[in-house]
Amino acid sequence: MSGLSLGKKLVLLGLLIIVMVTGLHYSAGGIERLTPLASSVRDILSPVQRVIMIAGREVSNLVTTPAKLIGLSKRYRQLDEKNSQLESQLLQFKEISEENIRLKKMLDFRTDLAPQLATEAAAVTGRDHGNWFGSITINKGENQGIKSDMTVITPAGLVGRVIRVSGNTAEVLLITDPRSGVGSMVQETRSPGILEGVTGGQGSLKMVHIPADLTPDRGNRVITAGLGSVFPKGIPIGTVREVCKEEAGLFKMAEIEPYVDFNRLEEVLVVTSYKLETP
Amino acid sequence: MRTFYFLALVLGFILLQSTVLNFIAINGIKPDLVLVLIILNGFLRGTREGAFLGFVGGVMQDLVSGGYFGMYALTNITAGYLGGLGEGRLYRDNRFIAAGLTWFCTWGAQLVFYLLLAVAEVQVPVLTALIGIIIPVSFYNALVVLLFYGLYYRSHRQGLLSDGQY
Repeated sequence: MSGLSLGKKLVLLGLLIIVMVTGLHYSAGGIERLTPLASSVRDILSPVQRVIMIAGREVSNLVTTPAKLIGLSKRYRQLDEKNSQLESQLLQFKEISEENIRLKKMLDFRTDLAPQLATEAAAVTGRDHGNWFGSITINKGENQGIKSDMTVITPAGLVGRVIRVSGNTAEVLLITDPRSGVGSMVQETRSPGILEGVTGGQGSLKMVHIPADLTPDRGNRVITAGLGSVFPKGIPIGTVREVCKEEAGLFKMAEIEPYVDFNRLEEVLVVTSYKLETP
Repeated sequence: MRTFYFLALVLGFILLQSTVLNFIAINGIKPDLVLVLIILNGFLRGTREGAFLGFVGGVMQDLVSGGYFGMYALTNITAGYLGGLGEGRLYRDNRFIAAGLTWFCTWGAQLVFYLLLAVAEVQVPVLTALIGIIIPVSFYNALVVLLFYGLYYRSHRQGLLSDGQY
């Protein structure tokens, strides 16, 4: 390299950048393919990542435990008082709950999806190493029957979908990733929309293209719509935090507070098959 | 051999970033150790080596992430080159100068990454990118350099990353 003139060096650098940008542009549509090399790298790194993750969690618990002990007795007294209040409230809620069950039966609306889904539990072994994208790696792959586009959930709600699979690992695109789009609807108003991620690291979501005449209210529940989507219908996603107009002005958009804490994911369920029971 | 140690360090940092660094993430943002390493390497070795090892380290990141090929390579070339601009111009014994340079280079590299996201047709609102990612990562990276620059500098002078010129 040292023998080359400045002009040739610049030409070489220019060529390199053009090749990389062109490669980037064309690979943009094909992120769902994993090359054999990348697949092998993942299979090799996954157990290492798992061990580091477990060790890190233990160290993190060890470091934070003394801090948690400070003020524990004060917290105990507060909780004791709160407990007596809650006991009295519980009696009222039991009554409301009974009423709720009766109403649900009347509406024939199923919120408990568990019996309709066949799932495979998997542990989270790693995350995207950058701050822009939101993806996790799980310790189940092709050998355990995991395929691309399978839905990933936790008991709290929707996590994302499988985008790439190697022998013993799979990469899950979180719904908070800016590349993610989920057909969704607001449960109360039945307003349809597309749920998009904003940035990977932060757990923020936005629901766009909501018809203006079906504007949801703050606190409304958002679930998967299921129409033409890879996600089964009715999986809870989050609640509406704020509603505003889209730039174009024809539709509304909403900020969504997800039910799942994406920074604390340890285990997930991959939906391997599902059947929708229509009333 | 020094290059081998450097690349082993890059791989180790990629593993840390995908695992335990998530426990110290603030508002979902974690420090970018690979970027810090490439910036400091440029700062202590100059633009040519900075950009070259930035490129190699970036290709490794691209391989492990398996996503858009070239995104990290181009970002890290920029980071290594920008870091290298400080070599010979800035006082290298001072950790505050190194932290300031890291802050500036992280800005540059993250802006390049943002532009490349647009090439790959990934839309992130400008304000969200700035406030949510670029600014916090810049400060987080600078903080890491403030804490660990001494260790890296010693390794550069007489440790594994030394080329024996001192």
